[in-house]
Amino acid sequence: MKIGIMSFAHLHAEAYVQNIKAIPDAEMIGFVDPDESRVEKFGRQFQIAATTDFEKFFAEKPDGVVICSENNAHLPMVEMAIDAGIRNICCEKPLATTLKDARSITTLAAESHVNLMTAFPVRFSAPVMEVKRQLQLGNYGKIYCFQSSNEGRMPAMYRKWFVDKELAGGGSLQDHLVHLTDLFRWITRSEVESVFAQSNQVFHHGEVDVETGGMAMLKFRNGVFASIDCSWSRPDYYPIWGGLSFEVITDRGAIQVDAFKQNLSLYRHDLKGLSLVDWSSDSNQGMINEFADSIREKRQASISGEDGLRAVEVIQAAYESASNGKVVYL
Amino acid sequence: MKVGIVGTGFMGVTHAAGWSQTPAHISGFCAETTAEAAQLAKKYHSKIYTSVEEMLPEVDVIDLCTPTFLHASQVRKAAEAGKDIICEKPLALDVESATEMVQVCRQTGVRLFVAHVVRFFPEYAKAKKIVESGQIGRPGTIHLRRCNYRPKKPVGNWFLDEQKSGGLLLDLSVHDFDYARWIAGDVKTVFSKKVSSMDQEAPIDYALIILTHENGTLTHITGGWAYPPPNFQTGFDINCDRGNIHWDSAETDPVHVLIRTDQDSPDVGLVGSHLLESPYTTEIKEFYDAIQNHKESRVTSVDGLKAVQIAAAARKSAENGEPVMIHPMEGGIA
Repeated sequence: MKIGIMSFAHLHAEAYVQNIKAIPDAEMIGFVDPDESRVEKFGRQFQIAATTDFEKFFAEKPDGVVICSENNAHLPMVEMAIDAGIRNICCEKPLATTLKDARSITTLAAESHVNLMTAFPVRFSAPVMEVKRQLQLGNYGKIYCFQSSNEGRMPAMYRKWFVDKELAGGGSLQDHLVHLTDLFRWITRSEVESVFAQSNQVFHHGEVDVETGGMAMLKFRNGVFASIDCSWSRPDYYPIWGGLSFEVITDRGAIQVDAFKQNLSLYRHDLKGLSLVDWSSDSNQGMINEFADSIREKRQASISGEDGLRAVEVIQAAYESASNGKVVYL
Repeated sequence: MKVGIVGTGFMGVTHAAGWSQTPAHISGFCAETTAEAAQLAKKYHSKIYTSVEEMLPEVDVIDLCTPTFLHASQVRKAAEAGKDIICEKPLALDVESATEMVQVCRQTGVRLFVAHVVRFFPEYAKAKKIVESGQIGRPGTIHLRRCNYRPKKPVGNWFLDEQKSGGLLLDLSVHDFDYARWIAGDVKTVFSKKVSSMDQEAPIDYALIILTHENGTLTHITGGWAYPPPNFQTGFDINCDRGNIHWDSAETDPVHVLIRTDQDSPDVGLVGSHLLESPYTTEIKEFYDAIQNHKESRVTSVDGLKAVQIAAAARKSAENGEPVMIHPMEGGIA
């Protein structure tokens, strides 16, 4: 099975290279990227084939591609892949920066009978999977609500385009609202009915023209509600990139989950300080494994393009609410 | 200074311990029944009063440690008698009563202190000092968390009666509404959801609130009577543009007791603080000093009123599903 990467714009591409290589029957065929400097830099860094020539890339006949472009380039990337006859596509989140693009992507995939997967790696976090399993078995009682945070550093330190309104589609709301939104849809098996959101620009004020702080409250059709902090509130020198945590409240109490807590505390004389060493299971690997499994078994991956579209709908509603101060109904 | 304490539940007991650490004299106690007041009266060698009216002529200061629904009438009586007042939080059940209380105290020239004790907890006070110093810049997002279990007084459980306590949002989350204002200033809009609005039969109470401050800061507040006793977790994150403060009671508890016991948890959950001086005592000492030496306290009557205003907005938002605007106080109050 041949898997390639389309664009190295998103930093997750670096992880996916290793994840694809770790699958015994998968061949990592390299990546294509219109940006020459990225082809140069990452081709050398990861010792993989890299090209700016899409025809050359598609001539390798990949069975599947992982799209890691800037958010607003997802649609043209999907179009190119489908035109080239690719049957399996895993696309980074958010699926698109506009509702129109997201709908075009899912429609195109459906019409072409393509296995389209949205990259929501949190669904493959071991602690999250276990809590979801127990909740759905009813072992923790009836779910009332979620209180949650997906806060991090401003990702401009990794890639500049993350803070570009055009390329990223916005700031922290665009970047950090999707994971928890998707997670709560997945756990509750219910869709978002309404969204209230607020945003501001206190962190990195004056450095960027997108929002850097935000909070949202979602209400699901089954009555469950959830608050999400999606801010870039962590300083650049924070010991890890950020975090994703939530508390589930049920009629029997609460479950508190921190998906990035499995760390060693490391003190190094040369760094003169504390650093955290992650020893958790790799959720990206779980996600790429599922993508490879779906290719091998010729089936739809467990996360669909529709799942990506639903999250885009919530983000767009959040932007609308943050600008007019009202509750937005989907 | 002669002090009369009204109400001899947990708060009455705690405030009495605080007053005993000041030069003030505890004149006596007043409770629903004389039997309830007797124990404390004996401990502090003071009198049992059968009513607030009977107590007022004999004291300089009255300390109201009574259920919330009694505050308005008791504050009025004390103000009209010209006595300075300490009133437990929340100041009142609604904005109208709270406003009247502040006004009557102004008109009669008595001082009114609202016991927002969280401002006296050293972790909260230290964080306030750090923010105030400007060393970490301006707050962008704040998280304030406070969750324990439903108060379970065997008789007369007024906490669970919305008519008497205002429920979770007014009784518990009011602490964090006040603290949010202390850190980030006045609030513009309030959006809130609570479990009891979606399920009236729920065996727990839990609410999530988003405050948008006038200066743009966003505060997220978690309030709950949802954990199994005796769990009580509090914590905060104050994320500013030049630094962050994080504190969590569970992470920083210096003592973990893993001893088998048959003892039940206390009726009302409290945070263990492991301090040489209880924050309640720190609070009473500051109120004593403010009255005795005509000084300001870190918490004013208007702070008490504005915390009630935010709580009322949060209750309204949780009921109608819409964000609620906070309007500036009328009648020249702040």
